[in-house]
Amino acid sequence: MNRVALVVGGIIAIPLLVFLGLGFGHDPNVIASPLIGKEAPAFALRDFDGNPLELAAMLGKPVVLNFWASWCQPCVIEHPYLLRAAKQYEGKVSFIGVVPSEDREEAVNQFYSRFGSWGPAYHDSDGKVSIAYGVFKLPETYFIDAEGTIRYKHAGPLDPVTISETLEGLL
Amino acid sequence: MALALLILELLSTPTTAVAQEETPSIDVAALLGQPAGSPVEGEELTRRTLEVGSLMRCPVCQGLPISDSPSASAITMLSQVRDLLAEGYTQSQILDYFERSYGEFVLLQPKAKGFNLLVWLAPVLVVALGLYLIRRRLAVASDSSPSHDPDLDEYLQRVRSEVDS
Repeated sequence: MNRVALVVGGIIAIPLLVFLGLGFGHDPNVIASPLIGKEAPAFALRDFDGNPLELAAMLGKPVVLNFWASWCQPCVIEHPYLLRAAKQYEGKVSFIGVVPSEDREEAVNQFYSRFGSWGPAYHDSDGKVSIAYGVFKLPETYFIDAEGTIRYKHAGPLDPVTISETLEGLL
Repeated sequence: MALALLILELLSTPTTAVAQEETPSIDVAALLGQPAGSPVEGEELTRRTLEVGSLMRCPVCQGLPISDSPSASAITMLSQVRDLLAEGYTQSQILDYFERSYGEFVLLQPKAKGFNLLVWLAPVLVVALGLYLIRRRLAVASDSSPSHDPDLDEYLQRVRSEVDS
């Protein structure tokens, strides 16, 4: 084969092979959030009793912002870890739970009576908070530092090590 | 598309009194700035919503645009596209808004810059390389074709005449 053709073919093929090689080692379910290191979008929500909550009012200490739903099975898995962490870091960290527009008060209350509650569920009634945070699949959790910068996003059910290591880094 | 039109029809119906009374959950202007276009309404709003929605990937589907997806996430996103267009935000501003939170993943047509340029350039380069190789092969074939040999011509002539007779 002609030397020039070999070189040009290599220039095209090698980057493609590297690209594909990197792709094989990447979990397609894990998509990096462009919000890491950026200011957390301010929001105002209400719980099912109508009590308001603004993110700005919660800052001054780290915030764990957890997007979950009453029908979500992986949310059941992480729930005990959040219960434990909310108790362990009480007064030092704010825990905010946000449920999607499709969720209903009865279903959330049923979930709480079955598995316990680590705080009120705030209803993202128009879905815009989930969009502003780029939520893909539930559950997803954002760790926000005391100044309001998003430091870490965890996709999928949380585990005790991730919670404690991330929060210890923020405190 | 029919599904998307039905969804948009539902989205355009008045929301509940509770939702109307509430303050916006997100201050879009704080994140995106002021609208750079003119507010759109009516059929034009529906058409533009589907148009912009067709450029955005549904986050929970397999490569479907939000305008074609029945998932709750896609419907919510399409609803916000509609709201933003109605407020006067341009297509570019809306795509930027969603890209800001979901990353470039949300764009069905990646931006032609940086590493993405390979998507546009690679096919052109591959075709150019193919054409070059074909041309080279033809040139080599033409160079290696049998040269004109008078002795061979004479021999062939004799064979033909014997066959004819």
